[in-house]
Amino acid sequence: MSKRIVINPLTRISGFMEIDVTVENNQVVDAKTKGNLFRGFEQMLIGRSPFDSVYFTQRICGICSSAHSMASSLALEDALNIVPMEQGRYLRDIIHCCEFLQNHIRHFYQYTVPDFVKIDQDSLFQADHDDFRLPSEINDRIARHYFESLTISRLAHQMLAVLGGKAPHNHGVFIGGITTQATAEKVVHLDSILQKISAFIDESMIPDVYDIAHYYQEYFHLGGGYGNLLSYGSFNNYKELGTLYVDPLVLTAEGMQVFDESKIQEKIDHSYFTSEKNTNSPEEAEPVPDMDKKDAYSWVKAPRYNGLPFEVGPLARLILSGLYDNGISAMDRTIARALEAKKIAEIMKVLLKQIIPGVDVQKKYKLPESASGRGLVDTTRGALGHWLKIKDKKISYYQIITPSTWDFSTRDENGYRGTAEEALIGTPIQNPEKPAEIGRILRSFDPCMSCATHVYIPGKQVKTIKVF
Amino acid sequence: MSQPVLPPEPLTNEAIAERLTSTAIKQLDRGLIKKRNLVYLELNGCSGNIISLLNGQNPDIEYALNSMVNLRYSNSLMAAEGEKAIEKLMDTLDEDFILAVEGAVALKNNGLYNIIGSWQGKPLTGLEAAKMLGEKASNILAVGACATHGGVSAAKPNPSESVGLQAVLPEKKMIKLPGCPVHPDWFLGTLAHLILYGEPETDNLGRPLMFYSTLIHDRCPRRPFFDRGIFAEKLGDKTCLFKLGCRGPVTRVDCPTRQWNGHVNWPIGDDTPCIGCAQFGFPDAMAPFISYDTTRVVKDE
Repeated sequence: MSKRIVINPLTRISGFMEIDVTVENNQVVDAKTKGNLFRGFEQMLIGRSPFDSVYFTQRICGICSSAHSMASSLALEDALNIVPMEQGRYLRDIIHCCEFLQNHIRHFYQYTVPDFVKIDQDSLFQADHDDFRLPSEINDRIARHYFESLTISRLAHQMLAVLGGKAPHNHGVFIGGITTQATAEKVVHLDSILQKISAFIDESMIPDVYDIAHYYQEYFHLGGGYGNLLSYGSFNNYKELGTLYVDPLVLTAEGMQVFDESKIQEKIDHSYFTSEKNTNSPEEAEPVPDMDKKDAYSWVKAPRYNGLPFEVGPLARLILSGLYDNGISAMDRTIARALEAKKIAEIMKVLLKQIIPGVDVQKKYKLPESASGRGLVDTTRGALGHWLKIKDKKISYYQIITPSTWDFSTRDENGYRGTAEEALIGTPIQNPEKPAEIGRILRSFDPCMSCATHVYIPGKQVKTIKVF
Repeated sequence: MSQPVLPPEPLTNEAIAERLTSTAIKQLDRGLIKKRNLVYLELNGCSGNIISLLNGQNPDIEYALNSMVNLRYSNSLMAAEGEKAIEKLMDTLDEDFILAVEGAVALKNNGLYNIIGSWQGKPLTGLEAAKMLGEKASNILAVGACATHGGVSAAKPNPSESVGLQAVLPEKKMIKLPGCPVHPDWFLGTLAHLILYGEPETDNLGRPLMFYSTLIHDRCPRRPFFDRGIFAEKLGDKTCLFKLGCRGPVTRVDCPTRQWNGHVNWPIGDDTPCIGCAQFGFPDAMAPFISYDTTRVVKDE
């Protein structure tokens, strides 16, 4: 007996997403993930001043805007042949740390917790399912932390604004590092808030995630997927500090290898696009939309590394850096987010100690007539890449591959499903009328569909069907 | 309507929002006013305004949920998902509600460039939802640059054919809160005014005067540099950023005194020019955001 379950919208994510799952004998046998908005940033960027891309691309996403300012600045530095001062890198990476903290705290409490914890407040928090298992004492404690976390994540954005002017959509990250200079007052301002956030992570967030894990143990066996992990590197390769977190690495069944960016390709076999080839490197021409393409079912492209789909994000980074070895599953992913928050707070503490007040890292930059560059950086949700070309001092080409595009890609000509699609296969669905499992597994990836669908080009009307 | 004048400083910061908030508490305590329903609709955009809203502080989102509104629908925050979430949206239609919309309305492909959910087995587009809810709402707030005029979602060549909310609800009165993103005080302060006193006084473009009356340039702490002709040549300089492309002289909003994220900083405090994100026309009319060559005298260096 085959059933189809469509969830649209998948709430508590960034952006709009639809899930289309086929269930046989109460087990998921097929899954498709689809994003549901299109703006077309790559097209919008053509003809603009290359400098503007740092602020413009942040508008791809309101929850991880600094990530795009990072990748865009790195791509411009590559194109303009600028090596930032180490002080500039430290300051920029401190801003990036603040965004990690804001993201992880908000994703865990505001987006994940309502899947497992009853928050008796008003209709906003009424769930569709009744699979709530926590003893009332623990449930109530975590529900209380839901509201406390709002203050803490707000403080993370306040730290970001100290060096970045405002958040979301900061003004600080730029070519060379950041725009402003550190002062002693700013350093202690950041350290003071950081202590509060660290205490919350240690005393609330980590115990809360382990309590949830204890009562929902089967999620250690659900949502695994391929187990291929990838990172572009994170807080790594400092001149004096070396690597504080993780180097560019990939892990497959064949073991760990050094990341090689020439092995990144985007496939469009099952996406609504055509180009001369179905497989392109990120620097090649943009495929054009084609809604009538046979076998296409989605508008999200499929990035692959060495021909394989990969998982990116906190769990990938923790495993690649040797800091976590329990396994790969929906619950491991959720735990990894809390543990990474702690790790990021520690990294930020180290970076803050390196700051020399009053160092100006900015210059008057000149644009080349033509150039190309790429910026690859691991951000909260995983590996983010910006590729750009400059012609006549204007942007002539821009390509973005976001973390959620890796995790929520379509399948390819070799039959490999996207990472999150694969993670759903085999999942037992206890009650197909109230399928709590699907949302829990997908949210463990922290989907950011505002980012993944920035180039999304829809055409045909999508048929959505209720659970039947 | 009298010409807006520069309000005294204490009225420009948290003071306005706090005054409204404390009045709201008193009124609620006395049972004089009732919490209103709020539908928060995210359309074609980046969801940056709801994230900014979570950054609000006195009033904050906890206060707003406890004392100001019954938040009936929010794609980012609600526990329900799928059609059950949309059901909650539809349930609100026949009651009194305030509609807040962030994101632009994508017109391309009959709205299918932005599907916000599924209802009765059919895709519900942002366009349909905006029209349906907009027609029935008691008050409408267009939140952020994309909702007020298309914003970045409508940046050229505007592949999704995005427009501001007013374009699909031409007859409806709405309060416009431009900004990329909106400042949480601009939103929650306006909401407080709506609940306590009805619609706030707005300018001819629909912006509440209490937040959008005065040019950034007129309150900029770097104005003395402008007046003396001392201009920054690069980001990071501490002087007037006008010649790097600062849009403070055309942008009406209270960033210089209110500042951001718990009032700690703002773009000019970070030694960067204002990019005019709270001005109609952003981003295209405000681009380029950064230019280094406007002070050049000799063409060939």
